[in-house]
Amino acid sequence: MLSYITRRLVYGLVTLLALSMIVFTLLQLSGGGPLDRLKLNPRMQPVIQQLTELWGLDQPIWRQYVTWLKNYLTVSEFSVHNMLPFVAIGAAVVATVVLGKLMKSHWKGAAILGVWAIAMYIVFVNITIKFNWGISFQGAGDVWDLVFGRVGATFRLGLSALFLALIIGVPLGIYQAVRQYSFFDQLGTTASFVFFSTPIFIIGVGLQLIFALYFERWTGVKLFYVAGMNSSNYDTLSVAGKIGDTLRHLVLPAVSIALISLAGYARFQRASMLEVLHSDYLRTAKAKGLPRSKVIVKHALRNAMIPVVTLVSLDIAFMIGGAIITETIFGWPGIGRLYITAIGTIDYPVVMAIVMLIGIMIVIMNVVADILYGVMDPRVRYD
Amino acid sequence: MTEPLLEVDDLRTYFTTEEGIVRAVDGISFSMMPGQRLGVVGESGSGKSVTALSVMGLIEPPAGQIVTGRVMFKGRNLLELDEDELQSVRGGQIAMIFQDPMTALNPVYTIGDQLMETILLHQDVNRSEAREIAIQAIEDVHIPNAKAQMLDYPHQYSGGMRQRIMIAMGLSCNPDLLIADEPTTALDVTTQAQIMDLMLELAEERGTAVMLITHDLGVVAGFCNDLQVMYAGGIVESGTIDDIYYNPQHPYTWGLLESMTRLDDEQQHRLYSIPGSPPSVIDLPRGCRFRPRCGFATEICGQVLPALRPVGNPGQMAACHHAEELNLKELKADAAPTVEPAAATDSDLTDVDLDLQEADVEGIEAQRSAMDQVEGEEGSL
Repeated sequence: MLSYITRRLVYGLVTLLALSMIVFTLLQLSGGGPLDRLKLNPRMQPVIQQLTELWGLDQPIWRQYVTWLKNYLTVSEFSVHNMLPFVAIGAAVVATVVLGKLMKSHWKGAAILGVWAIAMYIVFVNITIKFNWGISFQGAGDVWDLVFGRVGATFRLGLSALFLALIIGVPLGIYQAVRQYSFFDQLGTTASFVFFSTPIFIIGVGLQLIFALYFERWTGVKLFYVAGMNSSNYDTLSVAGKIGDTLRHLVLPAVSIALISLAGYARFQRASMLEVLHSDYLRTAKAKGLPRSKVIVKHALRNAMIPVVTLVSLDIAFMIGGAIITETIFGWPGIGRLYITAIGTIDYPVVMAIVMLIGIMIVIMNVVADILYGVMDPRVRYD
Repeated sequence: MTEPLLEVDDLRTYFTTEEGIVRAVDGISFSMMPGQRLGVVGESGSGKSVTALSVMGLIEPPAGQIVTGRVMFKGRNLLELDEDELQSVRGGQIAMIFQDPMTALNPVYTIGDQLMETILLHQDVNRSEAREIAIQAIEDVHIPNAKAQMLDYPHQYSGGMRQRIMIAMGLSCNPDLLIADEPTTALDVTTQAQIMDLMLELAEERGTAVMLITHDLGVVAGFCNDLQVMYAGGIVESGTIDDIYYNPQHPYTWGLLESMTRLDDEQQHRLYSIPGSPPSVIDLPRGCRFRPRCGFATEICGQVLPALRPVGNPGQMAACHHAEELNLKELKADAAPTVEPAAATDSDLTDVDLDLQEADVEGIEAQRSAMDQVEGEEGSL
């Protein structure tokens, strides 16, 4: 198990290295440069000269890449606030060894994963760490601060949307499968197709129109906001007011994303559930005399959830990249908007930082998905 | 005389498909005594498994429907019980084991969990008592080290071991009737013999009645007291093993027996094979369903569906108009009259009147009464 995870992480590092090379090269080859905007102004010539030399843009691509990689991996700030991180890691190592010896094989993975997740949380809360990810070419400041300043916003939107999509989409798919070909199933299938095939900018703008603009016009009540994460007077509000303000900003963008992903989850869960419902072991469960509800909840559900775990794990990884279109429509200050702006202005350091962040998350979540897979399905072995 | 344990009376189970109505089981009647071991043989699609699933109440609506019939089990008509009452019968009084042990156990629960689930469901015991019963059940099917096996998952077992677990699960609540639907088809021959021996031992020990569904006449011979042969949704012959093996009354049964390999056969000759293939149960031939493949068929066979009637040895029944005249006992395969293969597909011989493609359930009812009339007429012949 440990050797499997180590192997997967090593492969992951190789993948990330390849990813960084490809994206770096593509950015350079894409034509234009970060300083092209200044070229129209003849008086800027000396500035361009200066910046080109400063940022090393005149050097060959491989040199620029090596410089970038070296900086990317360099820790620029590091301090440990107290002894807790050491305690946490030490405890995690001990727990891994003990659990590894004591536990039944397939629950072991989840327990160790949980222990390390808690340890990592303690570590990150009690240290300050910063990598030298460079300075934004567009004068927006240090890339590390820029990206992590927006992670909170992206997580708030992404996790809300994921939560909504999961608690609605998965039960919907299960119910559709259990009542296959019923009116409800047909309705769900149709709705899923409609939402799945509607572009997010139509759904987003549609929700803005109906639930913010027209709603206010017809009822005179301002229910939802169409842009931003909080109102400008947020700091002056009471606790209840703060929660209300946050929700009124969050609902529309979160629902926009959730509508599309829940359609996907429902389709996927329905197919997975149908397969299980027609399996031999479900017939065995019925022949035992189990009530229908127990057949479905105990015997079908756990098997039908296995493939969904992978899907959700990877969705969490992609979530870190932010919802580019939704964040743009709703003026959400998340990573997605930073990303699209950075690409538009060919701001290498920012683009590279975000691409690598998504890449790292995908590698990690893949391993997490594999471990969870092993927890849910005892047939999975890691050797 | 003791009461029969199970009495099936004119059971008809139909499935609605896009091609038409599949008459998977079409008016069968039989009964089983306590402790009796009954073999049900027939080709794929002859309705053996659907009979079992109908008895278990596991026909899935809306596609499958038990159109008419009675399934009396210990004095109660199972078809009239509500779902709650049926659940207490299933697994408790009637247990079932299935064809493919590789997929019949839930992969995500341990053997112990799955065994204890049945026990807790049907017996008034607590968890630790249920655990004891489960361990005993595993020991009873001769799996060593039962306590440790409780924590194993199905994928850690071979097919034969899993089928043993299925048997343990089926018998853990001491059912009156065990339905075994081709329990050894998916296993290799050595394991097959072991599983059949085990079932025989346990059934005899506990006096459990067993309905053994199979297409293997060899398996039946060693296990059952009685046998019934199914063809295209109906029973064509029933009787004791000896009666049927040594004195078959129906040409289909005779064909099945003739097509078996015999180790004691000194003469070298080609194995017999029944010409043609079974009819589609959507579009059954008129009259006797075996007629298109039968070398002995006459005019009446094309018109009247023969009823199951006493013929041959006492207690033996067959559904053939000509059972008395044929003397199949003495007939050798090479002497059998042949049948033109074309006859099997001759379209004007198939019954257009009984085509149920467009029929709804009411239509089926109407058809059924029409068929009852046909059977009535034939009874007066």
